[in-house]
This record gives sequence, C-alpha cells and structure tokens, in this order.
Amino acid sequence: MAVSIEKLVKQIQEGGPLSCRAAARLMTILTDEPQRLVELLAGSQHWPQPSLVLGVTGAPGSGKSTLVDHLAIDYRLRYPDKKIGIIAVDPSSPFTGGAILGDRVRMMRHSTDPNIFIRSLASRGHLGGLTLGVRGIVRVMGLLGCDVVFIETVGVGQSEVEIAKSADTVLIVLAPGQGDSVQLLKAGLMEAGDLFVVNKGDRPEALQLRQQLLMTLRTASLATSDHHWGHQDPANQSSELPNVYVCSAAHHEGIEAITSELQRLTEHKSSEWQTKRQAHALAEIRQAVFEEVQRRVEGIIGSNGTGEANLRTILDGSKSLKCFVDDLLQRSNTTSQANIGNTEFSVTAEDNGYLVKQ
Amino acid sequence: MGDNKPLQRTAVKTSQKHRILIAKPGLDGHDRGAKYVAHILRDAGFEVIYTGIRRTPEQIVDAAIQEDVQGIGLSLLSGAHNVLFQRVLELLRDQQAEDIVVFGGGTIPPSDIAKLKEIGVAEIFTPGTPAREIVETLHTLLDERAAVFA
Repeated sequence: MAVSIEKLVKQIQEGGPLSCRAAARLMTILTDEPQRLVELLAGSQHWPQPSLVLGVTGAPGSGKSTLVDHLAIDYRLRYPDKKIGIIAVDPSSPFTGGAILGDRVRMMRHSTDPNIFIRSLASRGHLGGLTLGVRGIVRVMGLLGCDVVFIETVGVGQSEVEIAKSADTVLIVLAPGQGDSVQLLKAGLMEAGDLFVVNKGDRPEALQLRQQLLMTLRTASLATSDHHWGHQDPANQSSELPNVYVCSAAHHEGIEAITSELQRLTEHKSSEWQTKRQAHALAEIRQAVFEEVQRRVEGIIGSNGTGEANLRTILDGSKSLKCFVDDLLQRSNTTSQANIGNTEFSVTAEDNGYLVKQ
Repeated sequence: MGDNKPLQRTAVKTSQKHRILIAKPGLDGHDRGAKYVAHILRDAGFEVIYTGIRRTPEQIVDAAIQEDVQGIGLSLLSGAHNVLFQRVLELLRDQQAEDIVVFGGGTIPPSDIAKLKEIGVAEIFTPGTPAREIVETLHTLLDERAAVFA
C-alpha cells in the first residue's frame, strides 16, 4: 500500500524529466510520514550531498525570504552550473491546521530555473521553527544534485533554534526597529547564529543596530573566555567571532559579501560539518529506534485494559520494575505486534515474578 | 443560512494533508479573490501555496510539480482564461502530471465555462460562490482524484 521510497529514489537517480516529480513526491512522504525517514537514511551513506546547508532564521518580516531569493541570484551568477535547493517553512494554524505558504511569492523569479528547486512546508504544529521531515528533504535535494541548500525557518521569536540541529551553519537576519540592545543580550536565538545579517540596511537605524550587535557578540566572546580562565572554550573549538553584515536584500545591495563569506566557510569547515551531519543522522536513527520500541511495547503497557493489568503487577508488589522490564524486552523481541494486544500476563509461583503467557 | 457546522472536515482519512497551489496567471493584478479563496482553504485545513500575481503558466506548473500539490486554483479577471487555462493543462500533460486537479475562478462568462470544462478544467467558481461550496466541491474532486491515482 505504502509508496516505495526505494522506487522513488531510483527514479531520482536515473534523472530525466520525471525525477523532479519523484523528488517532490518523496518530500511529501517525508513530511506526511516522518517516521519513514529511516528508510531513506538506510543506504544513503554514499549519496551526493550538498556542500553547504544554510539555515536562515529571524523574526517575521525581517526579510528572510527576500534575502534567500537574492543569495540564490548571486550563487546562480557565480556558479551557473550548480544547483540550489530552497526549503521554506511557514506556520500552520493551531486552530484549523491549515496554512498559507507564501515564501514562494518572493522567489517566483526562480520558478522556471531548472537549477533551483523550491519546496514550501507548513510547520504542522511543530514548535522549533521548522517541521518534521526537513532533514530528509535536504537529503533528497542532495540526491537531486543540489550543491547548496537554504532552509528558511518560520518567523521566529526568541527560542526557536531547532535550525541549529538541521543546518551546517546558521545565518540570523535582523532588521532595525525590533527592540533595544537588551533584546540582543537575551538567551536563545542570538546564541544560535554563526553569521549575522542586518537587513534593510537602507534604513538610518541599521548601522546603529550593527554596532550594538558587534558589541554584544564581543561581550559574549569575552564572557566565554573569562569563564574558562582565558582559555578557549573546550566545547566550542571554533571561537571565531561571528561576522556581521549589513545588506539591503530587496535592492540586492551587500549580498556579494555574504555569499563570499558563505563560500569561505564552506571551504574551511566542510570536514567539521561532515562530522556534525553524521552525528545528526545517528541522532535521527536513535530517535527512530526509540519510537519503534515505544510502538512495540504499546500493546503491553499502553492505556488499554491489558496494559493497565500488566502495570498493576508492579503496583501491587508482585513484581519488581526490573523484572518487568527484563521480560518486556524479551517479549517484544519474540512476540509479533499483531498478538501483543490479546496476550495475557499473570504471575505464577514458580516463575518467581516473571511475566508469563497463560 | 442553513446549518452552521464549521467548514473543516473533522476526520481526514489519511495522514496526507491537502496541498493546493493558488495562482494568478496573466496580467491583471486583482488578487483579492485569489487571496480570499486562499484564506477560505486555509481555514478549512488546507495547506495553500500562494504564488502571487502575474505568473506565467510555466512558472505555475513548475511550482506545482515541486510542491507536489493535488490541485491548482487559477484566478483570472483579465479575460485571457481560454488561452492561459489551456496552456496550464498542456504543460501539466507534458510533465505527465494530469492527476493534478485544475480549477478556476474569476470573471468568466458562462459561455466559456462549458468549454473550459471540456478541455479539462474540473470546476469554475464564479464571483459569489459560497465558501462552503468551494470547500465541499474541492473535497469531492480531491477524493475522486485519490480514488483514481491511489
């Protein structure tokens, strides 16, 4: 019944006119059924990967889409043969589940460019600024041959920093008029940035914001160094101060400097990023394993009659927690999912407290 | 006013969300209708990809393929619907994407509606169509599509 991920992957690898559709369909599967990501990850070790996965985040209306649009223009000019992937996330309504995905409006100039693949996603109740399935989509974009992938988050407030776990590096877009210098001191978003861009640079307050930002970042770096008695933070080897750029994305001013910096980062940090991606992939699989385990034991300890009866054996003292879990693990190993629900457990004298099937 | 049940369907059959692209082909910039329909569909639980005004059929079809939508809604008030709707359908056929439901709206004379339906436009919603009717019709069209292309 389920569409075969393997088949779609093959269609993408073969290329040709239908590969785009196959990729788009695969992305739908990964967002509708994020638990199938593991099917995709298995065997994806040698797929082509983008050299840069850039997260772009910032407050609503700060100009994320416009900046991504113009970064894409600049990349296409510099590297006419390279492909670009863009993932743009917008919020789902918490009331109806519906969504208006409008980031494409600012990127329509790329619509018929065969070297740019844009995908809009709805957050679907996910609160970290992204949505489930984003990492899988990055993989698919790599498979399509995208060299650079931009991930644009929903407009974020202060604490939606999930992007740091999905991208190689994070660019934070700020615009003048969004609060005083204390806002910049606060924990959360500001800590997640590897690169800062003050957009709407044509406004008079933009340079002031840049100044405040530089000061905050320098203070942060000093504070960290103080904290470690003047030595480098062992947890953060790259203690390079993040760069701050001023641009006016809508007028395509100041974009080249950002692209150059991204290019420099890509060259210098690729091995660091590889390690990071491996760690993320393993974390992803670990999560999937946990979920699978949970699904399998659901029938035995779930909130149904049997599950509650089983748990009661611990409550009434006829079984220790350790014994219960030991048997549970053994049982989920041998019992197929179908009959777990109607398996009954009870305690007999001779099994010394272990769960047995009657 | 009839019953006042909310427009959205309470039970969605699969985990799949309906994704619809709303686009304005051609040269008129009157996007109030398109935005209104986008809003209605959003409130009915659809994910609506809105592409803005003055798009070419090529841009619309490319976007629809990349977004893997189940339907495309075209809003047009310039009178060029016969040409532009047909072009969208042709391009979809070229991409072997005839499964995508195409519907339209705007100032389209009744005499053209039959013609448009003949060439493959699933439905035309003229000004004044109640929101509920649009949502119900789309659900029916998309269910039919799902039954054929499952």
